[in-house]
Amino acid sequence: MEDTITANEAIEDQAVAEEAVPQKKQRKPINQAKLQDNLWGWIFCIPLIVGTVWFVYICLVLAFLLSFTDYSILKGDMFAYVGEMGQHIFATTTETGEKIVQPFHWYSYAFTNTIESKTIAGYMLPEIWLYMFNTVFYMIGIPIGMVLSMFFAVCMSRDIKGGNVFRVLYYFPCVASTISIVFTFKLMFSQQGVMNGILGLKDYGGGGGFQWVNLSGFTDLTWNRIISDAGGTPNPNSKFMNESFWCQGLLTKVIIIVMSVWKGLGGTIILYIAGLSGVNAATKEAAQIDGANGWTIFWKVTMPDLYPVIFYNIVTSVIGGMQIYAEPTLFIGESYITSGYVSLIWLSGLNGMGAKPSQGAAYGMILAVIIFALTMFQFWLDSRNKD
Amino acid sequence: MENVENIVEEEPVVQEEKQQYSSIRYAWGAVLAFFGISTKTHRASKKRAKFVGDVFTYIILLFGTFLMVYPFWWMIAGSFADTETSRELLERLVWWPEESTVTSEFVAAHSAGGIFWNYYYFFTKGVQVSENSLTFWRVLLNNFIYSVVPVVVGVITSASAAFSFAKINWIGRNAVFYFLLAAIMVPGPSIMTAQFSLYDSLGWRDNGLVLIIPGMFGSIMTAFFIRQFLFGLPTSIIEAAKIDGAGYFRIFCGFILPLAMPAIMAQGLLSFMGCWNNYMGSFIMIPGTSHAINLPHAIAAMDGFGGNGPFAQQHYASVIAGSVICVLPVMILFACFQKLIISSLMLTGSKE
Repeated sequence: MEDTITANEAIEDQAVAEEAVPQKKQRKPINQAKLQDNLWGWIFCIPLIVGTVWFVYICLVLAFLLSFTDYSILKGDMFAYVGEMGQHIFATTTETGEKIVQPFHWYSYAFTNTIESKTIAGYMLPEIWLYMFNTVFYMIGIPIGMVLSMFFAVCMSRDIKGGNVFRVLYYFPCVASTISIVFTFKLMFSQQGVMNGILGLKDYGGGGGFQWVNLSGFTDLTWNRIISDAGGTPNPNSKFMNESFWCQGLLTKVIIIVMSVWKGLGGTIILYIAGLSGVNAATKEAAQIDGANGWTIFWKVTMPDLYPVIFYNIVTSVIGGMQIYAEPTLFIGESYITSGYVSLIWLSGLNGMGAKPSQGAAYGMILAVIIFALTMFQFWLDSRNKD
Repeated sequence: MENVENIVEEEPVVQEEKQQYSSIRYAWGAVLAFFGISTKTHRASKKRAKFVGDVFTYIILLFGTFLMVYPFWWMIAGSFADTETSRELLERLVWWPEESTVTSEFVAAHSAGGIFWNYYYFFTKGVQVSENSLTFWRVLLNNFIYSVVPVVVGVITSASAAFSFAKINWIGRNAVFYFLLAAIMVPGPSIMTAQFSLYDSLGWRDNGLVLIIPGMFGSIMTAFFIRQFLFGLPTSIIEAAKIDGAGYFRIFCGFILPLAMPAIMAQGLLSFMGCWNNYMGSFIMIPGTSHAINLPHAIAAMDGFGGNGPFAQQHYASVIAGSVICVLPVMILFACFQKLIISSLMLTGSKE
């Protein structure tokens, strides 16, 4: 240390002798600069760290803790409740007055709860799997959207005039609010709407028009008539077509898929255009000279280069697809026939004064685990693919 | 070298085969060549092939554009429908409503709103119809506050964090960064109930602070993208500024903010759009009886979930007018800054 100080002093003397300006700077020991770096690094980060920890990590821990308790909105302040959590773990009292502690009550409840079918009296359906089926069903839109947007992206990245204008126009639905789009689609698919006009279904069923948005089965659909009864009369008692869970509200779900694909197309197109512009032009040209046609070049040269973009797109779409909530709810309201998994969290945890955030938190933890597992599975597939 | 050899070898073969083709096939080849498709009999000119390809591309893209834009046209046309007699009118709409507000008789009968009567009704009569005597001017103001205050403050805090992560060397920098980045793995709905209870005990729900304060702390995704942008800036500027005696705060305000403005603007605009359309945040966190609900929530309340609300039958066109009001500002903003936003999105695509 002494050596450096003396060296500094020597330099300082020289500097003073030459010109007095750099005096200030050179007196600073190196440690001071490092201290400044550390200090200001933390100061600039502090808001983001506080926000993320407070609104994400603490909430995650709270949700995890809450899922073991019997907290409901009526029980007042959550912090006081979690603070004395030991007393509030979910418990049931038997007839003899004995208290049985069941910390995993909401988890076992989630997987065992059944609800009665709306169409078949007394027929019980496993609740969580119904909502999960809907969520996964809506994901049919992901591959459709990917293929379509790839097609449009390839069209747009041709060397044509006005390609940028198309890019902007296709991105419009992405910035529009879901609620406006849902109302528009609902009216366009109404019984006398544009869609029935195009498909010639305005006079269906005696002039009423074909009903797309409903929660029933295929009772009045022509091919139900063909499948269920050779005589041509509709068979309202066909359980497979009218009463089983899978076919109820199926057309509504299809419209929601169409809407989500339409809305999400622009964003994916832009991702793919960015990816396509990064494809190695020299390789492409070489393949062309070797006599490969456009189709072969696309599959053998372009696609491998696009792989990272496609993978990124799949991962984010699956994460987003697992969290679908607003579209089905705005379209037709919440019901086990059309709603996604997140509805379960909302209905059990936050809906009304008697709601139990503890139960909702348990459903939320299950969702988090599912999403995490799905993402890890995709990364595992990705790593296997690379070998 | 190999390529040249290939061509030389192939050419005589093609010429020999030419004579073997039937005349029908030969004519067909000529027709295809006219449309720019090369066959074994004829080779189309490159110019022609490109021209035909371009025409097809334009047809496909214009058809796609029609599909993308038509619902918006429908929305605008629907907002001028005169649904006082029946809502069915709106259902039958294809290009323009059969009875619209853009007629001299209608304007004469409704002096207040004129041709924009549905919009007028949306803004004024919301008071009578919605349960909580809330004017839609208030809702619009709420939406504006929710999408400006948290975005402006949040983007600056995100940018400062990005500056720290990209340009300042401090111990544990990467550990903190990955710790924060891991937060995007936590799905929003999973912690929804805990957040709800948290905001409830803080008393942020009724007054709408729930949509303002959390956003002001910035978001890790915004910080991530600005950080990527800052890596592209030369560190020598900062070193030079440091030597000239500027503090880190001065460097941030004087150099980083202006230099990273494109990235900051793009991220800010994107999060503005997200906040403007934030239906879920308001619907879940703010009670429907509060005066702090935002525009999408108010429109949904008007519709009454499934078309059975008080507005649903007679004045449904004003719900559509509300939808237009909800969509229009974001569309205009996007149209103005499309270059900035799309290039920022493209950067996202090429980065990953």
